[in-house]
Amino acid sequence: MYGRTGRCLRVNLTKGKHLVEEIAPELLDKFIGGRGLGVKVYSDEVDPQTDPLGSENKLIFVSGPLVGTGAISGASCNVVTKSALSGTIACAKMRGHFGAELKFAGFDMIVVEGRAESPVILSILDDKINIRPALEYWGRSTSETEVMYKENLDDKWAARETHLVSVGPAGERLVPLANVINDGFLSVGGAGIGAVMGSKNLKAIAVKGNHSLLIADGDRFVRVVTNLINKLNSAPFTSHSMSAWGSAFFIDLCYQKGMLPQKNFQSAAFVDSKDIGTEALSNTFALRSSGCFACPIACIKKTAVNYPFFKGKGMAPTYWAIGALGLNCAVRDMATIGIAHMICAEMGLDPIAAGGTVATAMELVEKGIADRDSLKLEFRFGQGEDLLQALTLMATKKGHAKRIGKGGQALAEEYGQSKRFMGVKGLSMAAFDPRAIQGMGLHFATCNYGPHHLYAYTFIEEVLGVHEELDPLTTEGKPELVKRYQDMAAIMDSLGLCNWPLMGLKFNNLVPMINSCLGTEYRADDLLRIGERIWNQERLYNMKAGFDHTHDTLPERFLKEPIKDGPAQGQISKLDEMLPRYYELRGWSEKGEPRAETLEALDL
Amino acid sequence: MAMPRIKIDHNKCTGCRHCELACSLNHAAVANPRRARIRVFHEGNVFFPVIAGPFVDAACTSKLDIKIGDQVYDMCLLCRASCPQKPFFIEAETGFPLKCDFCGIPPNPSCVRWCNSGALELIDD
Ligand code: SF4
Ligand code: SF4
Repeated sequence: MYGRTGRCLRVNLTKGKHLVEEIAPELLDKFIGGRGLGVKVYSDEVDPQTDPLGSENKLIFVSGPLVGTGAISGASCNVVTKSALSGTIACAKMRGHFGAELKFAGFDMIVVEGRAESPVILSILDDKINIRPALEYWGRSTSETEVMYKENLDDKWAARETHLVSVGPAGERLVPLANVINDGFLSVGGAGIGAVMGSKNLKAIAVKGNHSLLIADGDRFVRVVTNLINKLNSAPFTSHSMSAWGSAFFIDLCYQKGMLPQKNFQSAAFVDSKDIGTEALSNTFALRSSGCFACPIACIKKTAVNYPFFKGKGMAPTYWAIGALGLNCAVRDMATIGIAHMICAEMGLDPIAAGGTVATAMELVEKGIADRDSLKLEFRFGQGEDLLQALTLMATKKGHAKRIGKGGQALAEEYGQSKRFMGVKGLSMAAFDPRAIQGMGLHFATCNYGPHHLYAYTFIEEVLGVHEELDPLTTEGKPELVKRYQDMAAIMDSLGLCNWPLMGLKFNNLVPMINSCLGTEYRADDLLRIGERIWNQERLYNMKAGFDHTHDTLPERFLKEPIKDGPAQGQISKLDEMLPRYYELRGWSEKGEPRAETLEALDL
Repeated sequence: MAMPRIKIDHNKCTGCRHCELACSLNHAAVANPRRARIRVFHEGNVFFPVIAGPFVDAACTSKLDIKIGDQVYDMCLLCRASCPQKPFFIEAETGFPLKCDFCGIPPNPSCVRWCNSGALELIDD
């Protein structure tokens, strides 16, 4: 078997037992691996009505077939479960080195079932699989957990090669906004997963291994990868912008197009993007590039902060962190945003979900609907200290975790103000104003994982204009664009490839790398078709979990209130112009249900 | 006579470990960092690529610390030897010691070819 290990580790925490299984080859053909395989196995094994925090729920960690092979940016490991925040299927994208190490440890997939009596850590070290008591780790931040775990290992050299994924205090307290953290990186798009891991009393998973991965046509693979590295190196975004600032360089571009939200999407204008753009980033932090496994781009910017009230090391803020934690809460001070981002990583909070919740609370207070007494905390737009305090307390203090940690939607509903929650399917919006970027708006409304831009990178065309320059304000061609990018993200996540290289090359360029690695003869269309199958599989799960076309929408604010200021002033989201065409392209009924013939054609 | 050599710039290394895989694919025809003749360690926020040097069967009797900037590093981390103290650069299955053979000239050793950050560079003395 090329690229893959073909093995799955099934761990039952209730019984304290584990089992090594072969993964059925038909499943790998149909769903590839990674996200696709995870979603398929999850939907087959778990009742859609299940309580995400109940012991019957399962948690799947799965690395795609290209992870660890040397394929460019083949680093992505997916975590699949039902989100404790939204009740939809959830799939976090973990970068860093955990996913590759899992493969070297001899597994494509870990399925975690049941619930341990008391806190445990699952360790898979050089073929020795153990479920160890971890009481002394409970309550610790994610970085403390990592350091402490490695210090406790006898073999110091082995400790250097061990990689961890863990939950922070937020996940332990079952805060629905919690996410999982690996190698000190924040996972992308995993709001609600940390709480599931916490509910299983699973503090962390540690992996290390010595296994080799086979490549079908090694010589060709090495040649193709070398070419792709050179290609990425000659494209401006992947060779320069991403390497210098990470995704934070979008800030300046999105600012010019008026799509940066401010104050819970009430405004889109800033006096000047200098405060929050790349200049501020470089001035505030000493940035050091760090790459995920086998990635030539290295978009992760590590930094250390040293203030009297906060010291720490971690990732400098990315685009979505600056958007969600900064702008949308009207916080403009880059240092505060950086600290907020680090608090999220330490506490194990998802920055978009947590930022969106704080912004909702701030709007409720601004409008005089809620106040300090009822929320038991200060929430004022633009006040960095309110933000930092809310983030820390919602992860660590019982009362606050219950009140604020339940998420923006529940909070807004409590005050009868659902319309003030800026999100879809219970998940907060990523920092793109859908009125100023129509394709992204359509994606936000229809995404199986809530409004997250990293499940369809349409901004590559709509903002950056890498392959074709598309006007973000028009709807023409957008349903096609959204469908293509959604399917592309699905297949790339399943293969285990990070999607950022698409800013420097086309999906077609990756096909020879995939084929020479796996020994297959896919054409780009075949792969996109598999992506489409995965997208439909996710949709089917969500439908059974109670989601339908009425959930494919955007908050009223975007559909009715034009943007008040900035370059995109006067725009609203033209979702209803695009949605019917999108359903049609997908082969779904007007009610957004996949038609029988669509499913048959996709072999579902 | 000019001797080509590999220059390592720790300030540029991103810790992506693509070099490890380039090496293992080239020499062992599989993807496995533990079979590579270059390994990347990290300490704090800094990454240290180390290229396999000699194999010794006894560990040093002296321990050295190196100060770079205001950080102190254990010399073992940077040392190129494989020894009983530092069980790297040994084939897991066979116990066979691995040593960099400066593969692939021309044009470049395989690790240098895949290192995109500029941390590894081929220079002529
Ligand atoms: S582009 Fe960034 S996120 Fe993607 S693999 Fe490379 S370093 Fe990781
Ligand atoms: S390929 Fe280059 S940047 Fe990446 S780990 Fe190796 S030396 Fe460092």
